[in-house]
Amino acid sequence: MASSVELQNVSKRFGAVEVISDLSLTVEEGSFCALLGSSGCGKSTLLRMIAGLEGITEGRALIGGTDVTHTPPAKRKVAMVFQSYALYPHLTVRDNICFSMSLAGERKAKQNERAAQVAKMLQLESLMERRPAQLSGGQRQRVAIGRALVRNPEVFLFDEPLSNLDALLRVQMRLELAKLHKELKTTMIYVTHDQVEAMTLADKIVVLDKGKVSQVGRPLELYNAPANRFVASFIGSPAMNFIIAEVISRKGKSIRLALPENGQLELQACNDSAGLQDAKLEIGIRPEHIHLVAPTDKRAAINGSATIVEQLGNTTYAYVETAVGQLIVEGEGSTQLSAGQSVGLEIDAQHAHLFDANGSVV
Amino acid sequence: MTTVNAPTSSTKSIGPTGKLLTALIVAGALFWLFPIYWALVTSFKHEEEVVQTGIHLWPEHFTFDNYSFVLFNTKIGLWYMNSLITSAAVTVIVLVMGAMAAYAISQLSFPGRKILWWMILASFMVPIPALIINHFVLMSQFGFINTWEGVILPQLIAPVTVMIYKQFFDAVPKDFREAAIIDGATELQLLWRLYLPMNWGITTALAIITFIGAWNQFLWPFLVTTTEPMFNVTVGIYQVTDAFGVKYARWLATATLAALPVAMLYLIFQRQVTQAIMLTAGIKG
Repeated sequence: MASSVELQNVSKRFGAVEVISDLSLTVEEGSFCALLGSSGCGKSTLLRMIAGLEGITEGRALIGGTDVTHTPPAKRKVAMVFQSYALYPHLTVRDNICFSMSLAGERKAKQNERAAQVAKMLQLESLMERRPAQLSGGQRQRVAIGRALVRNPEVFLFDEPLSNLDALLRVQMRLELAKLHKELKTTMIYVTHDQVEAMTLADKIVVLDKGKVSQVGRPLELYNAPANRFVASFIGSPAMNFIIAEVISRKGKSIRLALPENGQLELQACNDSAGLQDAKLEIGIRPEHIHLVAPTDKRAAINGSATIVEQLGNTTYAYVETAVGQLIVEGEGSTQLSAGQSVGLEIDAQHAHLFDANGSVV
Repeated sequence: MTTVNAPTSSTKSIGPTGKLLTALIVAGALFWLFPIYWALVTSFKHEEEVVQTGIHLWPEHFTFDNYSFVLFNTKIGLWYMNSLITSAAVTVIVLVMGAMAAYAISQLSFPGRKILWWMILASFMVPIPALIINHFVLMSQFGFINTWEGVILPQLIAPVTVMIYKQFFDAVPKDFREAAIIDGATELQLLWRLYLPMNWGITTALAIITFIGAWNQFLWPFLVTTTEPMFNVTVGIYQVTDAFGVKYARWLATATLAALPVAMLYLIFQRQVTQAIMLTAGIKG
């Protein structure tokens, strides 16, 4: 069973410091929602507020339509997987999984039956009598998920659960989490600072910045149509390139901008540019939307020289020093380029974004 | 090959500094052990041999007379029982109260928490003998003279236990607490099923230290018990001397009998205490 989670104008203050400020959010039942943001943006605090581990200073929290603002954590029908796993070191895997049932005074036979079901689902059968210290990182992670699973929660809360694992295991566990969500169809809220995790797992991403929602959307919406400079810079790896350019003219949604060496670029704004006052705008362009051409090529909007070339096999990243600063360009794996070589950069105007001085998309 | 052989050779050979240190440690151990050996050996000698001039490291005539005298002519069985009951009660109550107080101060948020903590710290500065008259008057008013309650109650003041438990509870990562709260644990369940088992090492160590301390108590039980059936072992030893005059061998046989349970307890649990403290340190990491 899954429940929706709704936060209505919630704020959280620690003394004079406001960590979450007038935030509203709806997570539909059965969805996988990622809370994404840099360190200190308030994403973990928000998750803990949903769990009931932190009080809500202002506003309301609803789970499955029921107001749980003042409900103790155990009665919210949520289960949480912690970054540190928080497996009780003095208990075996079985006892860790059965802990909540044991606290509730459930019969031993029932506990074992339920633990066996969970163990089968997470392939923990052979580890049931071990203690957490005898498990690998991935196994501990699975036990932590098992401990959450055994409670039949309506909402799963994950607080950066994969950040203690190595890169390879992280990919594997990511797949397992995706499978688990598909199988259980339970609402999952997942806190991470890793945009790859958020993009691959979630069907809805909430980007948080300084305790406020910066943008909410499906992964590709955030990637292709960021609402502001923060989201544009946060989503995507390598990060989006930003070029400050002077506005030459504007007509309807069309804006012409000046580039160095008398270059010009005409871009389409999202809205009519009539009310736009800024003399300068910021162009945001992803590395894959800049193409390497010969410096003399007519398509080259900016010229520069490659400083570092990273060849990753399937793709090549070139760091090009230009008159507008360093730009990252993504090329094909077979791209032949050496450091110090002069290059021309063609900008795919269709995929460029424009931001005003406040960082909002134009 | 050299890397494989290196640790084996280093563990086999001890350098000159190592030898010197070993010799010093052995000498220290012998020096410390000698009084115990002397007491033990003396308890197996005849009284005449004890008062003879010269040092006799081994009894000329080995005898159990001193032990049989103490065992059959005194109330040592009863004194043992009194010591055991009062020491066990002190240990259990001190640990339960200490753990609960420390848990409250360490993990709960309530008005006056800091003041309570400072009061416990301040009580640590007051030497217990300074309160002995007050305790006596109080116990007398309660009608607890010559009772187990009278022996036990004033020994329950153990701020050190609270301090040590608090320090260990503070070090338990808060994720454990929060995970258990989400699992539905009450504060009491958190203490009994999480904080205490996770700090089992320090509980064992504190239990042994408290028990030994209570067993070895002399002044307070001496004041609060006046009838022979209520004496504990330490007060009983004094009684042996008092009633039968200075008889060193007999006295030392009583002392040996009195110390035996505590020594055995420590010897049995010594390894466990060490291991348990290491385990607790592991949890903290």
